[in-house]
Amino acid sequence: MKILKLLLLPYMAAVVAAAFLWPAPAQGFIGESSRIVFFHVPCAWTATLAFLVAAGYSLAYLLRRNPWHDDVAAAAVRVGLLFGILTLVTGSLFANIMWGSWWNWDPRESSYLLLVFLYAAYLFLRVAVDDPERRRRIAAAYAVFAAILMPFLVFVAPRVTASLHPQTVINPQGKILMDGPTKGVFFGALLAFSGLFLWILSLDARAARLARTRP
Amino acid sequence: MSPAPRMSAAARAGVICGKDVAQELRSRVAIVAILFFAATALALVSYAIGPFGLREEDRPALQAALIWIVLFFAAATGLPRAFVHEEETGTALALRKVAPATLVMAGKTLFNFLLFASIAAVAIPGFVLLLDWRIGSASALAATMLLGGCGLAIVSTFLSALVSAAGQRNVLFVLIAFPLLIPLLLTAISATVEATRGGMPWTALRVLFAYDGAAAGAAYMLIGVVWED
Repeated sequence: MKILKLLLLPYMAAVVAAAFLWPAPAQGFIGESSRIVFFHVPCAWTATLAFLVAAGYSLAYLLRRNPWHDDVAAAAVRVGLLFGILTLVTGSLFANIMWGSWWNWDPRESSYLLLVFLYAAYLFLRVAVDDPERRRRIAAAYAVFAAILMPFLVFVAPRVTASLHPQTVINPQGKILMDGPTKGVFFGALLAFSGLFLWILSLDARAARLARTRP
Repeated sequence: MSPAPRMSAAARAGVICGKDVAQELRSRVAIVAILFFAATALALVSYAIGPFGLREEDRPALQAALIWIVLFFAAATGLPRAFVHEEETGTALALRKVAPATLVMAGKTLFNFLLFASIAAVAIPGFVLLLDWRIGSASALAATMLLGGCGLAIVSTFLSALVSAAGQRNVLFVLIAFPLLIPLLLTAISATVEATRGGMPWTALRVLFAYDGAAAGAAYMLIGVVWED
């Protein structure tokens, strides 16, 4: 993790600099607003990754009953929520520039807000159960159940009604609609945010283990 | 009332559902409260809008959204009771002894579906009479109510088992149920709009079927660990 931390600082700085300086702004967007894609989409990707990691470790907890798996799952949800809120904030900045309003109740905005509520509820559930073993078991079951139904919230619900949101990376054409430099910085940012997630997750999970085992 | 071990799984689930129905009919407080809630919500909506308060082109979407809001909130007052009631009355341990968790889940899901169906049986004719709801395709609406009601019952029953282990049960149920049920409700509303216009909403029905299948599979896998003593 120390190597990851040392590599992340210059790499993240390079990605941020490239995001502002290298690719030209995309056509059809006001001013430089299209550059938000280098921060908004990686935040959304990282939040989704975090929730999948939480589901994986929750399933591992249910199978093996190792409290460390629960520490990692809970940490993943906390970090996922952080990136989820950043996704909403960056999306809101973009919405204000493009559509003149911070919040438009667009189906994609709303479904993402509900995704944040879904995992905030996981933390409420943990707080509500006093017995540690029962808390871990109930929270793990909820995380797995939520992960199975999450695709309906993220992928299906926004498509039921018309949306203002620009075409997503996962689109009906199955193509990434970006030029070379944009694509390079975009995937570089995805890697940088994934590394950042792993580092924060490791810190949070180890802190949770210390809190659990401290006499 | 305890189901004999040689009975089939479906029959044992039916016995558990029957026990809940008998319990509800004995007190009648819960079912009357739920139906009263549905009737009050319906009266409020019809008083606020009335049969001529909606423009013709807005009718299908608004009436579909309103009927599902009434159904969901009326059902939400009763659905969490499935497992929570057993914990509160101290009968959970006895139920654990007589049937495996999956059968208890099946029985209680069936009971919750019947509860939803009884609310729908009051709310839908009420909407037709009070809001002049003209249903274009009754079979499409029936299929939507069947699949929507199944999904609502499965997810609510599972979450009821989950929150029965925790404190502040009713508040917690609303917190965790709402985000999970939104995709189901949005799809059900979309299908109801289509049914009102007289079409068969195949895509929405497929989505509802997939949601119900995913929720049932997940609940079947997880109910054992949730309802452990």
